Amino acid sequence: MDDDQIRSLVDSRNGTVKPAIYSDAQLYELELERVFGRTWLFLAHESQIPKPGDFFNTFMGEDPVLVVRQKDGSVQVMMNQCRHRGMKLCHADSGNTKAFTCPYHGWAYQVDGALQSVPLEKEAYRGKLDKSKWGLIKAPRVESYKGLIFANWDESAPDLVTYLGDMAWYLDGFLDRREGGTEVVGGVHKWMIDCNWKFAAEQFCSDQYHAPYTHASAIQVLAPTPQNKPDGSPLGDGQTERPAWANGLGGVQFAGKGHGSAFFFTENADANVWVGGEVSAYFRETYPEAEARLGKVRALRLAGHNTMFPTLSWLNGTQTLRVWHPRGPGRIEVWVFCIADKAAPPEVKEALKKSHARAFGPAGFLEQDDSENWIEVQKVLRGHKARQTDFCMQMGLGFEERREDGIPGITNGTFAETAARGFYQRWVDLMTGKSWNEIEAAGAAWEQEVIDA
Amino acid sequence: MLDELTRPLRVSADLQHEVEQFLYLEAALLDERRLREWLDLLADDIEYTLDTNSLAQFRDRRRGWAPPTTYIFHEDKYQLERRVARVETGQAWAEEPASRTRHFVTNVRVLAQADDELVVGCNYLVHRASKAHDHHSFIGTRRDTLRRIAAPDGGETFTIARRRLELDEFTLMSANVSIIL
Repeated sequence: MDDDQIRSLVDSRNGTVKPAIYSDAQLYELELERVFGRTWLFLAHESQIPKPGDFFNTFMGEDPVLVVRQKDGSVQVMMNQCRHRGMKLCHADSGNTKAFTCPYHGWAYQVDGALQSVPLEKEAYRGKLDKSKWGLIKAPRVESYKGLIFANWDESAPDLVTYLGDMAWYLDGFLDRREGGTEVVGGVHKWMIDCNWKFAAEQFCSDQYHAPYTHASAIQVLAPTPQNKPDGSPLGDGQTERPAWANGLGGVQFAGKGHGSAFFFTENADANVWVGGEVSAYFRETYPEAEARLGKVRALRLAGHNTMFPTLSWLNGTQTLRVWHPRGPGRIEVWVFCIADKAAPPEVKEALKKSHARAFGPAGFLEQDDSENWIEVQKVLRGHKARQTDFCMQMGLGFEERREDGIPGITNGTFAETAARGFYQRWVDLMTGKSWNEIEAAGAAWEQEVIDA
Repeated sequence: MLDELTRPLRVSADLQHEVEQFLYLEAALLDERRLREWLDLLADDIEYTLDTNSLAQFRDRRRGWAPPTTYIFHEDKYQLERRVARVETGQAWAEEPASRTRHFVTNVRVLAQADDELVVGCNYLVHRASKAHDHHSFIGTRRDTLRRIAAPDGGETFTIARRRLELDEFTLMSANVSIIL
């Protein structure tokens, strides 16, 4: 597929996309190279690999990588693949090791990726193998942002903070509420969904619109009413009577550099947390510290949903952080982490782990409905006609603005598709093979254009 | 306690039969979508849990360290009742239209008896058919604590006081778990 054909699939100015972008196998192969081979990808939280030799086994796109803590405290990211015949070196989810030894022929690598030993080296290679040339392939760029470890294969990519742009402001609202930052609580939920990665990423980027209807059942059964709880009390002490979107206080959607975020304004520090009392009380009690660090809007934790382009998403309040690993054009592997303030007491972390699973684990009251939508859209896109028919992405088109109250970036009302349009604009710029300078310039031009429109 | 059992506990055929019939009844209530009647089989203080699995190196396991797990379910009776209520709204999209399920319970063993409680182990297979073409299986093992209580019509029956589910998958191959396992 040439660049003109790719450009014809997305019209971010007029708000349409061709659904072939979710189903075409050729485009998917290009995505692995031009999106996942060039962008900053979330890999692990620092708290998951505290000690030298600790590793976490994950993926960059479809490439398996090991994230490994080094003796000097730094982190290296290397392909989980032996240089001899390409075997996967390590199958454990995480652990601690002194070396990675290939199960196939026994080539052994140090934790920094250097090839340490080769079985029968003298007899088999007659001493002629230059081991210094056969270390593991490493990601050339590894950076952390407030506990989250990212890597990038592309040496020409902007640094992580530049890549984040205004999105860092929203990410701070999740990671920087309290002194000491955050940690991952418990293990990782992993499950498969038969849908394209962009459905999931775009929903968390931009789609506040789905929540009232998709999650109607959870709203009904979790609302604080006498029917729902014998004493009529809310699940959390500060749970709002109705979901935040029903309170009429408005909200904001943000778009920038392909990332997106959307939230509602509310007045309760623990509003809209459909979880147990400990979690709710914790957010209220720690509100003054969070407000001093972040200001009122972000301290209220109301950046409802967020995607950092391409595949890192999170929800404040239920504290879910997830990555949508692509697995072919029609499949993703979802990995979900529960994030807590490191300074939170153990009983709050335990309560958070439960409430997180209850809301957004694979059996979660809210999670269950989301996957069902994406799967069914994906099934329809097997049809020829369905793949050619434009999707409407025009919500809030022309109503973008820059605010003067400190909320940064291109914004719109929370029920809008500004962030989706920005997401696909970034996607098409990457997919047409622009250089990073051109991509950043094209993104800035799009942002200026939507403000001027 | 359970791991110490290296030969079958001697229980009467009557008790084995009674336990099996109770578990089969429970499975039938779930499969026939008589979910309110199923809730009646649960003790008010039930704890219903399912953890994730993780892959650990042998050397880490030997040192007693394994990657942390998290809950898929950690529910009390109130939360289980809310799950049933969610399906009853008619807007729980993963279960609308409702899937059909089939719960198979095998390898039933009474593992321990104390006072009015029994610990019962079994393997389970739950098949879920949903939408037009989707089939999913959930396979694992289970530890139930059954408590003897007075039956409403006189005599005795069981209530489920604790259920600890284990699922064999490391990565769930199903997009969601919208049914009761």
